[in-house]
Amino acid sequence: MIAGVARYKEMFRQALRIRLVEEKIIELYPSDKIQSPVHLSIGQEAVAVGVCEHLRREDLVFITYRGHAFYLAKGGSMPQMMAELYGRRNGMSQGKAGSMHLAAPDVGVMGASAVVGSTISVAVGAALAARLKKKDQISVVCYGDGATEQGTYHEALNFASLYQLPCLFLCENNGLAVHATLAERQSYKIAEHARVYGLETIRIEDGWDFTKVGDVCGEVLKAIRGDGRPRVIEVLTCRYKEHVGPGEDYAAGYRSHAEVQAWMAKDPLCTDTALVQALRPALDAEIDEAVAFAEAGAMPGIDDLLTDVL
Amino acid sequence: MNISPTNLSPISSEIMPARMSYREALAAAMREALTRHDHTVIIGQGATDFKGIFGTITGLHREFPGRVIETPLSEDAATGVCIGAALNGLYPINTHIRADFGLLAINQLVNMAAKQKYMFGGLFSVPMMVRLVIGRSWGQGAQHSQSLQSLFAHIPGLVVLMPSTPESIVRSYAHAVAHHAGPVLVLEHRLMYELVFDTAMHPPVTNPFGSHIQRVGKDVTIVATSIMVLEALRASANLARYGIDCEIIDLHSISHPDREMIMTSVAKTGKLLVADTSWLAYGVAAEVCRIVAESDPGVLKAPVVTLGMAPAPCPTAKALEDLYYPNLRDLMSAIVRLVRGADDPAIEMPSEHSMSDFYKKFRGPF
Ligand SMILES: Cc1ncc(C[n+]2csc(CCOP(=O)(O)OP(=O)(O)O)c2C)c(N)n1
Ligand SMILES: [Mg+2]
Repeated sequence: MIAGVARYKEMFRQALRIRLVEEKIIELYPSDKIQSPVHLSIGQEAVAVGVCEHLRREDLVFITYRGHAFYLAKGGSMPQMMAELYGRRNGMSQGKAGSMHLAAPDVGVMGASAVVGSTISVAVGAALAARLKKKDQISVVCYGDGATEQGTYHEALNFASLYQLPCLFLCENNGLAVHATLAERQSYKIAEHARVYGLETIRIEDGWDFTKVGDVCGEVLKAIRGDGRPRVIEVLTCRYKEHVGPGEDYAAGYRSHAEVQAWMAKDPLCTDTALVQALRPALDAEIDEAVAFAEAGAMPGIDDLLTDVL
Repeated sequence: MNISPTNLSPISSEIMPARMSYREALAAAMREALTRHDHTVIIGQGATDFKGIFGTITGLHREFPGRVIETPLSEDAATGVCIGAALNGLYPINTHIRADFGLLAINQLVNMAAKQKYMFGGLFSVPMMVRLVIGRSWGQGAQHSQSLQSLFAHIPGLVVLMPSTPESIVRSYAHAVAHHAGPVLVLEHRLMYELVFDTAMHPPVTNPFGSHIQRVGKDVTIVATSIMVLEALRASANLARYGIDCEIIDLHSISHPDREMIMTSVAKTGKLLVADTSWLAYGVAAEVCRIVAESDPGVLKAPVVTLGMAPAPCPTAKALEDLYYPNLRDLMSAIVRLVRGADDPAIEMPSEHSMSDFYKKFRGPF
């Protein structure tokens, strides 16, 4: 039980850390210091924290433009990320990437793509390499519900299943693609559909519950490590903010604010205010340091413009 | 294809008022297409949402029920759907909020749409339009900023246009829907959407699918595309004060540029500068040079000068982005050096170093 409490607290801390970083981004955004489109993960942190609990440093995650949460949960450097958002030379990609293309290969964060669905097959390829090079490594690909509408998703599922590659397809289903709801876009059920390819598939409905996500992912990742076969996890989750940008757009009328509020009522980061208070000071200090690191960074210049092209 | 001037009737002031933004012209063109032609449909991601493709089709799904169609995130299939619909009597207008996403449609566009007519000896035609929006500024980065005109214009069977004024939008979109039974790709520049034009300031469009002379001059021919036409106009206005008189050709038709217009102009000025929104290699700049080199390179009195994006993917950081795209100063200095043979210290250069800051009339990335 003590272990349970300690685990809850640690996962909570990680999820809160991500949320506070993004809240800092919201606070900074009007200053125009961050001139990079930001797709915030606020509301979805539990997915990244739950999955990453059982990932090892050498496991790979392929992420999307909505990638702050996975980048941080997998161990990407916060100061370097902040500097990258600021477009500074001390960002992990010297300002060439920005928020939409986070990466930290040293901890297994493979580069985020801003073209929906374009990393899914790439992750399968990484799993193929892991298999052929006999690496004990899992390739995880994170994508949204919308990405499952791309043909490449279906092709990648088939490929992974055909060759039984060690990868985890992780769908973060927030029910929205920009402003379009699932019902406007899909004639299938994501988990059910993936089973057609012979893939074991699990659906997690309580996507706010990081320990639950962690439990399920732990089991699934263990199974993949055991038999080297691909699996699919669909996690229901909730995007609190607008699709891109620091604001909220409930007034636009495309989604129900009440549903989001119902989700927030279950979200520990919203309800467990005592723990937030307790953990906040240390996290705020870490975030302030990251911002200071970014602000102190030099601007990239003409000497950087044409490097790394070939 | 008919690229010769047609007799154009005047545009009513309802469709094109004296002052009009680029976005309003797009909205007018979309509404006209749906109103005048029952077989027109608009298909795209976000087609029915409250943002309505940056305000160009907002609300049209309510006004024209069933004719404005939301699509799943399936560009490849959606393009095929448009092609099939076109083969069977509809005129689809397919929208992409970034040209980059058109790359997911390239198999259908290049292997199918562009070939249906020729490959079957004229048995089929694919009348459809694809709207591709070029992004720029606020960290669009490598995958949301590409200006892919030459990639598409390389392919026989496609018409590729880059309108730079409200009138060229209103004219060329109407012409496409009413008179061109083939795939037309239009590349719209996001930075221009909120710019308000004084429509009478621009010479009337005489050929909807052709190139347009935007300014008559004698010292240098500037062939420009899209927002670079506006930038060339700005540079020319500044330089006119110093006695440099630029002629500006708005290339507009990337796939079928007006060779005669270019050659007549270069024969007059003897000097050519090409300013494109994209990379130079194998692009519009290269193509315009081909036209001159093949027609009469002897008219050139100086080597051609070209301006475009740096030969790299687009960086996200603003500090790098401002170096990546040429700015007004780069353009003006290039013109001065071409016309005068060297820099001219008497000519005051603008201090502005970010072109997007000047044109951009909205905040944030999208
Ligand atoms: C191929 C492609 N088409 C369209 C877009 C524009 N776009 C960016 S994010 C997005 C929605 C993606 O939804 P989903 O996969 O559910 O991820 P979420 O944003 O909800 O995390 C769209 C349509 C894009 N980036 N790439
Ligand atoms: Mg989604």
